[in-house]
Amino acid sequence: MTVALWLGSAAPARTIRWLDGAIATAATFAQAEGHKAPVAIAAGEPTWLDLAADRANRAGLASTGVSTDLQLDYLGWAQVVAAVVRQIRATTVLVDEASRPERFPEVAAIAELLDAAQLTHVVSLAPDGAIIHASRATGTSLQTIRIRGSAVIGLRVAGAPIDEYPTPMPSASMKRLDLKALGLDPGVLAHRSLPPRAGQQPRLTLERVAEHLAVHVVPRSPSRSRGG
Amino acid sequence: MGAVLVHIDLDGDRPHPSSLSALAAGRAVASSWGATLYAALVVRDPGDRTSADSTGLGRIQAMLARGGADKVVLAMTDVAIAPLWSAVGGAWQGVIDQLRPRLVLFGADSPSAPELGPRTAAKIGARVLLRARASVSDDVELRDRDGGYVRSSDTGAAVALIGGAHATLAGEEDVDLVVLSFPGVADPRIELVGTTAAEVAHTRGALVAIGDEAASDPAVARDAARIATLLGAPLVGGPAAVRAGAVAAGGVVDRGAALAPEICVVIGTVSLDLAGATSIIRVGAPGSKGVDGALPAPIGTSLADLCRVLGGS
Repeated sequence: MTVALWLGSAAPARTIRWLDGAIATAATFAQAEGHKAPVAIAAGEPTWLDLAADRANRAGLASTGVSTDLQLDYLGWAQVVAAVVRQIRATTVLVDEASRPERFPEVAAIAELLDAAQLTHVVSLAPDGAIIHASRATGTSLQTIRIRGSAVIGLRVAGAPIDEYPTPMPSASMKRLDLKALGLDPGVLAHRSLPPRAGQQPRLTLERVAEHLAVHVVPRSPSRSRGG
Repeated sequence: MGAVLVHIDLDGDRPHPSSLSALAAGRAVASSWGATLYAALVVRDPGDRTSADSTGLGRIQAMLARGGADKVVLAMTDVAIAPLWSAVGGAWQGVIDQLRPRLVLFGADSPSAPELGPRTAAKIGARVLLRARASVSDDVELRDRDGGYVRSSDTGAAVALIGGAHATLAGEEDVDLVVLSFPGVADPRIELVGTTAAEVAHTRGALVAIGDEAASDPAVARDAARIATLLGAPLVGGPAAVRAGAVAAGGVVDRGAALAPEICVVIGTVSLDLAGATSIIRVGAPGSKGVDGALPAPIGTSLADLCRVLGGS
């Protein structure tokens, strides 16, 4: 079984704890019986690739980087990941879905393109021969799940607390690929481009904060609230 | 105009409130766009289909009709129902293949949405809106907080996870029922072994955190609990907040634990690692880097105002 770890297309939004946690989880497969050395995959701008390579290297993982300045949607990045996964013949793909919110739909998209099983919101993972034991958080419950065969698994596993991390240097250890080497046409892939979105200023009025929170207000069952 | 399809999760023997909110948003969209609104749920085939009422499905059908559905689709499967693509994905894909919808909606807080929503989108090559609301206007559109939108003039399909509460527009009592059968289509690669209660540190939805000093004010503690209820969120804090009675004993989170909720409302000063939160709102503190919103006025006033405005939304 070969494991690939998709670290994403941009640096973590707030912290590298989730990045480190995903890398540490992938590294457990290196010691597990019947598993080949995992490979961390990242795509995007050079500075992000250097950070991804540096964090992977510290955990002893090999890494592959796809250099591109495209800004893609979830299906666009999934095509890139699927191409790398096919090239390295990985059967299990781990995805750091916590570092950036837009990463989470990529789990399903990668699974769809690889015709693999999918599992999102996994908070712990343990390889056990041909089986992987997983715990998945779903609302107020935790599911215990066994995974067999080809699967894409979204991870929400935190690494150790870290205040500062060394500025990564350009990495020679990362294997660099471009889209053409993966059999992908940048012109075709550009159809999955996302228009750049302006950064939001913090909301500092009651109305704007309430508007921001409104999509999280839990709907109530109308019949239950009437006592039915 | 293509169909608008709403996925319905069940909460016991009735539609999940978040699914009903998505149905209400779907009703607004479908009426504005001139589309047919389907409400579809995957249910375990009881074997003996003498009548829908014998399994409680007739009651669910009536609730979905009142919720605005034009047609109700029952996807029958002999697989045990679980909020996993591996369990219900096969039957759900059958529904998608049958209806070929232009817009598919899920309740953002319904159990199946994280597994079924993005996979549905990937299957039909659709755009994804992760927490969207329907606008209130003649030409209804869906919008998310990041500037994404779905309009009637768009080409291509879209999938949206609908967040928040949408008012239900009363529909007809009697609607068409379509029953589809999808026997034995579970993915054997994923096996659900068991389920236990999750720790508060695993919260992925909303979280409300209160600081020790703020928790010592009974009025603030009461309003913090009200915000938590409105957001369906656990209220967490330190041991002092527990001693003050503001936070339940299970609401103490280890300082080293990393939290990754979709949204965290921070009241006062807390010592928690919230760096995994998608969005952070601070109450009683100025806006700063990495914060999506802040109410810098005194905590008591800000929180009371927020309760008032959110409670009416």
